[in-house]
Amino acid sequence: MRVMIAEDNVLLREGLVRLLTESGIEVTGTSGNADKLLVLVDDDPPDVTIVDIRMPPTHTDEGLKAALKIRARHPGVGVLVLSQYVEVGLAMQLLGDSAAGAGYLLKDRVSNVKEFMDAVSRVADGGSAIDPTIVSALISKQRKRDPLDRLTPREREVLALMAEGRSNQGIADRFVITLRAVEKYVSSIFSKLDLPTTGSDSKRVLAVLLYLRG
Amino acid sequence: MGTTVPPTAVVGPPPPARMPDRWLVLLIAVGGALGSAALIFLAATSESLQQRSVSATLGIWLTVPYIAGGLIAWRRRPESRLGLLMVIAGFVIWANFLAWSSNSLLYTFGAAVQFLVPAVLLHVFLAFPNGHLRSRLDRGVVATGYGAMALTLARMVLGEGGERNLLALVDNPDLVRSLRGVQLALVSAVLLTGTVSLVLRRHREPPLRTPLSFLAYACSLGLAMIAVLYSVQLAAWTSVLESVRYTTFAIIGLAPIVFLVAILQARLGRASVGELVEALGVNQGPADLQEAVARALRDPSVRLAYWLPEFDSYADVDGRKLELEDSPGRSSTAVKRDEQTVAMLLHDSALDDEPRLLSAVVSAIGMTIENAQLQVELRARLEELRGSRARILQAEQSERRRLERDLHDGAQQRLIALSLELGELGDRLDGDVELRTRIDTVREEVTASLAELRDLARGIHPAAVSDHGLAVALESVATRAGIPVQLIGATPDRLPEPVELAAFYIVCEALANVARHAAASSAVVELHRNAGLLTVEVRDDGIGGASADIGSGLRGLADRVEALGGRLQVWSPVGQGTRLRAEIPCG
Repeated sequence: MRVMIAEDNVLLREGLVRLLTESGIEVTGTSGNADKLLVLVDDDPPDVTIVDIRMPPTHTDEGLKAALKIRARHPGVGVLVLSQYVEVGLAMQLLGDSAAGAGYLLKDRVSNVKEFMDAVSRVADGGSAIDPTIVSALISKQRKRDPLDRLTPREREVLALMAEGRSNQGIADRFVITLRAVEKYVSSIFSKLDLPTTGSDSKRVLAVLLYLRG
Repeated sequence: MGTTVPPTAVVGPPPPARMPDRWLVLLIAVGGALGSAALIFLAATSESLQQRSVSATLGIWLTVPYIAGGLIAWRRRPESRLGLLMVIAGFVIWANFLAWSSNSLLYTFGAAVQFLVPAVLLHVFLAFPNGHLRSRLDRGVVATGYGAMALTLARMVLGEGGERNLLALVDNPDLVRSLRGVQLALVSAVLLTGTVSLVLRRHREPPLRTPLSFLAYACSLGLAMIAVLYSVQLAAWTSVLESVRYTTFAIIGLAPIVFLVAILQARLGRASVGELVEALGVNQGPADLQEAVARALRDPSVRLAYWLPEFDSYADVDGRKLELEDSPGRSSTAVKRDEQTVAMLLHDSALDDEPRLLSAVVSAIGMTIENAQLQVELRARLEELRGSRARILQAEQSERRRLERDLHDGAQQRLIALSLELGELGDRLDGDVELRTRIDTVREEVTASLAELRDLARGIHPAAVSDHGLAVALESVATRAGIPVQLIGATPDRLPEPVELAAFYIVCEALANVARHAAASSAVVELHRNAGLLTVEVRDDGIGGASADIGSGLRGLADRVEALGGRLQVWSPVGQGTRLRAEIPCG
C-alpha cells in the first residue's frame, strides 16, 4: 500500500510516517501544506492520502478543500481526513454523493494503531471510515416518532458499525459472531428502517448516514 | 471644552444689498408721475390714435404698476434686483408709447424701442424672484429678445413708419413686411421658450414658497399670450386680435403687483419666525428643533448639523457624524452663539434669496440651541460607546480564537503525537502483558485528556464556525440538541465572522434554554438573510411564559447583538411556546 501524508505539525507527521512504515506501508510523499500535496498526488497518485483538515496558510479548511479536489480528480485515490474536531456537516461535504474511498476521523484515533491501520486500509481499498463520534451523535439524535426505537440494542450497535464503514466481516470479528448472524442483523435493520438494500459497503455507509442525518 | 473651530460653510447667502437712496426713489417716482401725465397728454394730442382715452388708460395701466411696484420692491427688498428691473421695464414700456407722438424725434425713439417691451417683460418674468437669470437657457432667450431690436432698426432704416421716421434711408415696403414677419416669429419663439423654461422651473424647484409664488409663475401666461398676439398678427388674423389683446394687457399689468407681493412675503415668513420662537420654548429635542426650523423656512429639506467641539466634527440630530459637503442646490448658514458657530443650518439654495428670513431664523435658534446640542452630543457619545463595545467584542473574539488555535497547534498536537508514540510502544510489547496493559491505560488517559482539551477549546472558541461557517456548526448543534430540532435556511454562504459567531451563540443559548425550561417536544431554528440583515429565529412548542426579563445568558447575547447594531427579541406567551428572534446587520 502506498500512502501520502499532509500534516503541518512536524512531530505528528514524523510519527505518522514511522507508524505506517513500521506497519509495512510505503510512504511515497509528505507535505506540510495542501498545495504541495495536490502536486504530489497529481504526479504520482498513491492508494490513499492522509490529510490534516487545518493547514497553512489560514488553518481553517485547506485540508478539506484539498481532499475534495483529490476525490474529484483521482477517484481511485482514497482520502482520509484527520481533524481536531469532527462535524456531521463536514463528513457529508467530504462524502458528497459517494462514500467510496473516503474517511473522516478524529486525529486522536491514530493512537489506537490497530484500529487506525484498519481504517487506512479500508479507505485505500475503496471503503469508508467515519468517526464513531459522528455516528453516535447521529444515532442518538432526537427525532419525532423515532424509527430507531424499533431496533434492539444489538441492532443499534450493528447499525453504528455499518455507518462507520465496517464490512460485515469486520462487524462479525468485532462481536465475535458469525458472518451469517451479522447478515441477519443487517437485513432486520434495513427492513425495520424501511431502507432499500444496497450492493457495496460504501453505498451502505452513505445510505445509512443520509438516513440518520434525516 | 476643546478650542477647536468648526469648519466654515462652503456656500453662504450673499451679503445684504444696500437699500436705494430715499431721494433717488423719490426722484424716480416723480419722473414716473410726470411720465404718466405726459402719456395722457400724448394720447390726447395724438394724430395717429383712434381711441385716445382707451389708449391713455392702457398706457397708464401698463406703465405705472411696473414703476411703482418696482420702486416698492427695490426699497423693501434691496437684496432682490427684481425691483430695479421692474422700474426699468416700466420706463421701457413708457418709452414705447412715445410712438404716439407726431413729433418725429419722439416717434422715432418710441418706434425703435417698441420691440424691447417683450424682451424686458421676459427678463422680468424669468428673473423672478431674485432678479437674476439662473440658467444659460434663460440668459440666452433674454439676450435673443433684446437682440431682436436690431431687426426693428433695420425695418426703420428700410423706411417703415413714413415721414415721422427719422432713421429711414430707403423705401422698401416689401422687405419691411418680410422683416416684420421674421421678427414677429422670432420674438414669439423667444417668448414661448421663456414660458416653457418658467413652467419647467416651477416643476424642478422644491415647493418652498406660498401659493403667491405659484400665482407669480402663473403670470407667465401673459408672456405666452404676447406670443399668441404676435403670431395672430403674423397670420393677419385680426378678428381675434382685440379680445386677446385686452386679456394680455390685463395680465401683463397685474403681474408686477403679484411679483411685488410675492417677494415681500418674507414678511409672512417673519410671522413664522414668531411661531418658531414660541416652539423653541416647548420643543427641546434636536429633531423637534429641526422640524420647527423646516416649518419656519417652509423648506422640508432643512437639516441641522450640530457642531460637537469634543468630537471635532458635525453631527446630525441622531448624533451620527456628518460631513458638510458642497452640493448643488444646497446652502448652509452658520448658527452662532456668543460669536461661536454652534451649528450649521443646511437648506435649499433658494432660501439665499431671503437673507433676512434666514438670519432671523438663525438668531432665533442660536438662543436656544444649546440644549439640543447637548442632546446631540449625548447621542454621539452613545454611538461612540456602541462602536467601542463592538471593538471590545472583536478584540475578545480574536483573543479567544488565538487561545483556541494555540491549544490546537500546541498542547493538542503534542498530546496526539505522544499518544501515537504510546500506541506504537504498546504494539511492540507483545510479550509483556502487564506492561502493555499499563501503557494502554496511559494511552487512554491521554485520549481522555485530549477529549477534555477539545471541549475546553470548543468552549473558548467555536472553531467550526470560523473554519467552516454557520451551517456546518449549527448542524452539529441541532444534532446534539436534547429535542428534535429542524434547521431551516442554513446555507454555506459565509457572513462576517462576528455575525456568524453571534448567530451561533444565540442558537446554542436558545436551544439550551429550550431544553432546560420549555418542556418542548421540538424546536425550529430558522435563518433568513435579506437586504443586509440576518434574522435568526428559534421557536419551540413548549409551555411558554418565559420571564419577560430575558435570562442572564441571553442578556449577554443581547449585548453582543446590540454591539453589532442589531436587536434581540423574545416572545413567550403562556401555553404558546417561546420565540426568540435576533436581527443582525450583516453587510
